[in-house]
This record gives sequence, C-alpha cells and structure tokens, in this order.
Amino acid sequence: MVIKTIWIVFLPLIALVIGIFFLGLSRKVTARIQRRYGPPIYQPIIDIIKLVNQESISHGRIFDIGVILSLAGSVVLVLFIPFGGIAPLATSGDLLVVIYLMLLAPLGIALSGGEASNPNTSIGISRKMMLALGYEVPFLFAILAVMTYYKTTSLLEVVKAQQSSSWGIIYLPLPAIAYFMILPAMLGIRPFDIVSAPQEIASGPAVEYGGKYLALTTIQHGFHMFIGIGLFVNLFLGGGNPLIFLVKMLVIFILSLFINAVFPRLRIDQAIKYCWKWPAILALAGLIIARIV
Amino acid sequence: MQLITILVVSFLGAGMVYLAGKISGKTRNILAILISLATVILISLTYNQKIYTSFYSLPFLNLSLTLRMDALSWFFAITVAGIGFLSILFSLEYMRHYERPDFYYFMILFVNAGMLGIVFSADLLSFYIFWEIMSWSTYLLISYKGGRAVAAGLKYIIMSVAGSLAMLFAIVSLYVSYGTLGISRLAFLLQTASPGYILFLLLMFVIGFGIKNAIWPLHTWLPDAHAEAVSPFSAVLSAVLVRMGLYGFLLIMYSIVGLGLLHKLSYGILNFNSVLCWIGAITIVIAIFIAILQDDTKRLVAWSSIGHGGYMLLGVGIATSLGIAGGMFHTLNYAICVALLFFVAGAIEHRTGGIRDLNELGGLIKKMPITFTAALAGVSGLIGIPLTNGFVSKWLIYKTLIMEKYPFLAFAALIGTWGTVLYGYKFLHNIFLGQLPEKYKEVKEVPLSMQLPMILLTLAIVVFGILPGIPLKVISGIEKSFGIEPLSTTIFGMPKEIGELNMITILAAVLAAGVVVYLVFSLSAKSRRVDQYDSYAAGSFVPKDKYQYSTGFYDQAYRIIGPYLRDVVDDFYYWLVGKSQSFFQLVRQIYTGNVNTYALYILLFLAFLIFVKLGWRLW
Repeated sequence: MVIKTIWIVFLPLIALVIGIFFLGLSRKVTARIQRRYGPPIYQPIIDIIKLVNQESISHGRIFDIGVILSLAGSVVLVLFIPFGGIAPLATSGDLLVVIYLMLLAPLGIALSGGEASNPNTSIGISRKMMLALGYEVPFLFAILAVMTYYKTTSLLEVVKAQQSSSWGIIYLPLPAIAYFMILPAMLGIRPFDIVSAPQEIASGPAVEYGGKYLALTTIQHGFHMFIGIGLFVNLFLGGGNPLIFLVKMLVIFILSLFINAVFPRLRIDQAIKYCWKWPAILALAGLIIARIV
Repeated sequence: MQLITILVVSFLGAGMVYLAGKISGKTRNILAILISLATVILISLTYNQKIYTSFYSLPFLNLSLTLRMDALSWFFAITVAGIGFLSILFSLEYMRHYERPDFYYFMILFVNAGMLGIVFSADLLSFYIFWEIMSWSTYLLISYKGGRAVAAGLKYIIMSVAGSLAMLFAIVSLYVSYGTLGISRLAFLLQTASPGYILFLLLMFVIGFGIKNAIWPLHTWLPDAHAEAVSPFSAVLSAVLVRMGLYGFLLIMYSIVGLGLLHKLSYGILNFNSVLCWIGAITIVIAIFIAILQDDTKRLVAWSSIGHGGYMLLGVGIATSLGIAGGMFHTLNYAICVALLFFVAGAIEHRTGGIRDLNELGGLIKKMPITFTAALAGVSGLIGIPLTNGFVSKWLIYKTLIMEKYPFLAFAALIGTWGTVLYGYKFLHNIFLGQLPEKYKEVKEVPLSMQLPMILLTLAIVVFGILPGIPLKVISGIEKSFGIEPLSTTIFGMPKEIGELNMITILAAVLAAGVVVYLVFSLSAKSRRVDQYDSYAAGSFVPKDKYQYSTGFYDQAYRIIGPYLRDVVDDFYYWLVGKSQSFFQLVRQIYTGNVNTYALYILLFLAFLIFVKLGWRLW
C-alpha cells in the first residue's frame, strides 16, 4: 500500500522527465538529420521555466479549465499504463478505460481552444478531430487484435502473458506494424503535424496560448509522447523492468523520428486516406488472424 | 390497485389539465406539474414490488386486460415518469409563446400515460391498446407546429402503423394458436413451439419494435420527427418514447421467448441474436457518421439518437449478463443525456429566436454558462468520458463483445464513440465556443424553470457515472427475473472477477491530478483576461461577426466519407412511395367518384351473377 502510494506520486514525475527528454531529443535528432546543430536537449526545460514566469492572456474560464483538464487527464493516464511492471492503478481500469482516458487530453485542449475565439484554433481542433478519426480506425483494430488474441481487456494480463512466452510483435506482427505506422499521427509529429502547422494556421490550438498555458501544453505533449510509446511497448514489446522498458521506448521513438523527419507535412485529407489505407488494412488483417487463431 | 391508481391519475390528469386550461393558464401549468410529479412519486413507491391485477374482463374473446409490475416495468416506468416530469417543467417557459398550450399539455401527459400503460401491461392486448394510444398521440404532438412538422408527423405515423400491423399480426396469431395473451402464460406455452413459429413471431415483433426504436433500415422517420417536434417533446420522444421499442425487444426476447429458445434459432453460423447485433452495429456506424455532417442542432441529436439505439440493441442482442445490463443501463443513460441535449437545443431556440442552424450560432458560453455546462455534461455522457454515466454502460458492452469474441462488433461500437466525439464537439463548439456574434450580445441565460431540469439531469449524469452500482442493482434484478445470471456489481464499479473498473479510484486520481495541475497553474505568473476581439489575427484588425470558423467544420472529412453516407434507405422508401403512387393512380381510374360509373359496375356485376347462375352459358 505504501509502495503503491509512493509510485502514484513518482510515476508521473518519471513520465514527466522522460516526456520532456523526448521532446528535447526529437528537436535535436531532427536538427541533426537536417544538418542543423539544433538546440540542447534540455532546451524544453529552459522554455518551460521561462514560460511559467511570463505574463499570459486568458479568454475565459473554460480556456483555463481545458488546459488543466488536458494535463490532468494525461497525468492520470500514466497511472493506468504499466511502466516496466509498475502500474499503481491498473487494477482499477483496463485497456478500455485507457482508451477512454486518452480522450480527456484532446477534449480539454479542444474546449480550451474553442473558447479562445480564434478561427485558427478552431481549424486546428477540427483537424485534430478528423485526424483522430483517421488514426483511431487502425488503432482500434490493433488494440482489439491484442485483446482478442490474449482473451483479456487488462493491460497487466497482456504484459504478463508476453513475459511468460515471447513478445506480442511475434504473434501479432501486422497490428504492431500498423500501430507503428500511425504512431507519428498519434503523437502529432511529422509528417502529421497538421494540427499545429505553424506556417498555415499559426500553431492551431496553441495560437492564443502564452506563458503558463504554453508551458502546460508543452508538458502535456511530453506526457503524451510517454503514453503513446509506452502503450506500444506494453502491447507488443513485452514490457520488461523499468530500465529495459525505457530502452525499448527510446528505440521506438528514435526509429519513428528517423523515418518521419525526412517527410514533408501531409494535408489532412491525405493523412486520413493514409490512415484508412495501409495501416487499417494491416491491422484488420491482424485482427482477423487473431480472431481465427 | 396501485397500478390502476397510477394509470387513472395519469390519464384522467391529462384530461383535467386540458379543462383547467380553460380556466386559466396558471392553474393548468400547476396541475400539469403536480400530476407528472405525482406519477413519479407513485411509481417510486412501488419499488421492488411484484403486482398483478386484472382491470377489465372483455365480454368477448374470453380475455381479460391485466396489469403487472416487476423489475423491468419499474425500471422503464420510473424513467418515463422522470423524463416526463422534467420535460413538463421545461415546457412551462418554453411553450409560453406557442398557440394551443392546453392541447399541448393534454397530449404530452397523455403520451406519458400511454407509455406507462405499455410498461405495466401484463397481456399483449392491453400492450397493443396502449401502444396505439402512444403512437397516435405522438403523431398529433409531432405535427403540433404545423407546416413541415405535419409532413414529419405523417412520415412517422405511416411507418408506425406499418409496425403496429406487423405486431398485430403476431398477436392475433398467438391468440389463435394458444387462446391467451397473458405474457407469463405465453412464456410458458411457447416453450413447446416450433423454432419456425418463434422466428415468425420474433420477426413480426422486430418490425414493430424496430420501427419505434429506429434501427437501421427502419429509422427514416426519426430525424424529421425529432427535429420538427417542439423541443421538450423531442426530449420525451428521443429519451423514452423511442425506447419503448427497446422495452418491447426485452419483453419479447427475454420475458416471453426466453434465452433457451433464442439459442435454438440458428442456421449454420447465423443466429437470431448475432443478426440483431449486426443490425445494431450497422445502425451505430451509419447513423453516427451521418450525425457528424448535420448542421441543425436537433437533427444532429436526432441522428445520434438513432446511433445510440444501436448500442442498446447491441447490448441486448448479445444476450450475456454483461451485455443485457449494458444495453439497459445505456437506455437509462442515453435517456438522461439526450433529454438534456434537447433541452439545451430548446434553450438556445428559446433565447435566440428559434435558431437551430449550427452555423449561425457561436460564443454563447459567455451568455449562457449553465446551459453550456449542461451541454458539456450531456455530450460527455454520450461519448462516455470516464466519470459520466455513459462510460460504464459502454464499458459493459465493449467488455462483453470482446470477451465473447466479437471484435468486429466491438470495433463498430468503439469507432461510433469517436464519431460521437466529433459531432459532440461540433455541437459544443458551434453553439457555445468561438466568437459571439453581435446580434446575440443581449442574450440572457434561460429562466430557472428551464435551468432546473438541466441541472437535475447534469447531476444524474455525474452521480450515475461515479456510483454506477445504484442503477445496476435494479438492472441485475431485471436480469434475475429473465432467468439470466444477474450481474454482480459493487457500488463504484465491477468486482474483480468481472473486470477492472473502479470509478472511485478514477475519480480520486482525476481529482488529485487536477488539484496538482491547478496548483502549478495558479502559482505561475497571473494571466490577464482579454476580450474576444483581442485575439491573434497576424497583426490585422479582427472583423466583427466574421472571425469564426464553424461552417463546414469537418469539411475535409466530409469530402472523403460524404459520398458513402447518403441515406440510401430513405431514398429507397421515397422511390417506393413514388412507385406506389402511380399504382394508386391506376386504382383511382376505377373509383372515379361518378355515380354513373358505379351504377355501371353494379349492372356489370349483376350481369355476371346472372351469367354464373345460368351455368356459365350464354345461350
């Protein structure tokens, strides 16, 4: 019980550090691929400290609550996703709860951005919603394949089953590939940075954010990276102890960065069509196989 | 006796309200409130009772009309009465500017009374009588506003009559075969019937109930009817009246036919329940994706109503303890959420002068914060955000679909949820968020009597979301009465052997995380509150009334999915109408309306008779 409470406090902090590290890393790696020097890896920390001390504007109560809800939703989600065998709350909610808790963060941003009374935010949010509709199709197929194959809806059980045999990716290669293909869309990194698209819609939902709002959304983005990749490692790469888990996350993250840093941004309709084509077909095929086996 | 009292109070009360309206508007309003409140109280007093009474014995056919109260009828009756009460409360202000209010209050109370009659009926004859009372008075109420509403009402009643006839066919055949229509007696007698006969019965009832519950492809009446009815009645229509179809499904499938016989209805891999589930899944996907494309507040909610009917059918059709509980719980949850959303749409209409077009609204959160909160709760409940009621019922449905190895049905249900996110957010954004148009600068929050129903329903959403054990206890009582293994629940979620769900932990986690983030937020540098025109426009001036993005909100997605989402079924029905019209034109050639022609027919017929009498010989 005491250990559980300690982990409830520490796990979000660990996720925070890893998430922020990923943010810094992604800028550095992308810069090196594009033959720039890039900012130092700890740049996001400097940014966040600077931002919380800056003055900002607010458009109303939901504008504030939305940002808080979005970050709080991500923090809660971390407690439900096993991190190398540590999962303080996983017995109170299964994978279905996780899928639903994943809604809180975008919904918070959507509400907050909506009250910002700026068409750029609205366009950004409508893109986010449509993109989500795009990647949810293969994502749900992949997750259902896992749940069908392991005959459970519990993430803990899925991880345990993989540790007693081998990794999920060996039994379910197609859903794993499909998940990996849509990972950049879920994380909102290139070529799927349609939602923020600074050159088109002035950073989309973030256009009215300054100061602490921007700081909180940056932190939320870090958490989001942690969650998206952490879920992949749990579902297909067999979890492991915290250190191994971290290494697996890092490998997946850098792989998706390598692939995607060289692609230009897609249009929203191209992104939807992409998601509904190969990833969806692969994941569906995986689901059919998982159903028959 | 209690049941008769409830029905007498509600039926006679409706008539008294009409008469009171002739005295004064105020007396009528008070009486209407009192009567609907009285039914709520009377019904809640009968909790956990089993009653069976015969109230009239027919002088012919050797039948008697009977009423009964069990767990299933209590569950539906309390929902009907509760939603009815709230919608009458909402009507007080909303209906102020409408003509013929006496008629309106009479009819809405009458519809409620009819629905109570349906759920209390213990034999299929009374069931059918009350069913028709409900159907026809609904028709009058849908057409209440005149104009387009009449067309919507006609569409409804034609489909409804078709359904009723199918049902009547089955009821008559039951009477002819078994000589009784009592539900419990039939349940016993049918156990020896042949599977073919059972299938025939079920098909007839599925047509009747399916039209009411608006399952694909029998749904086409619903969007027009919901959009054109007055908003408080749309709430009743969508929340409980449509779900009488679901009640019918439960009654015929589990109370009368029973699970044992249902399992026998299979042919190869096809069986009755899985076909029903697939219809539910198709209903979810088609209706919810059409809802995304709607630009009318009430039409959007109406399409969502069809889609969520699919969830209920999916849960009920899967026929597991979890599934049936999920389906019934979703019925209750959806009733709460959709009534709330129609109230919101009504509140917006009331304050903006009847605006239903989602592209003309915006920014109303600043003027109507309580309505916004209600809308947010309603939409969250529909999506099933954790800590709202819709989450638990959907969780039950998904869980059973996955565990019973129906991943494709589970996919339809889950993707439907994402569709719900899209149209739910569009509803919130286009009405409440974005820039407030200049013409709505003077809009005020709705009066207390309209706020109160919304606040109560919002509370219900949160309470049932955190304490799902309360309604689920009633529902497991219903399952016990069906002879299905009842769902065991804890007050905050599910016991360990069913699955990992504990709402109180989730609540605590969300609250704790919220507090921590809030502390960080409030300890950071302060923010300055700015006006809506003080926003980023790349350095240029922000034009009034033009700096809003709501028209074609999901246009890019529409271009991809739009072509596949034509309501083909509706087109088909209209094609059918066109074709039958030309056939009826032909028939009309015979019925000219001219006496001479009819005289000629009589003469020809006589000549024919003489010809027959002569032994088919002309000479």
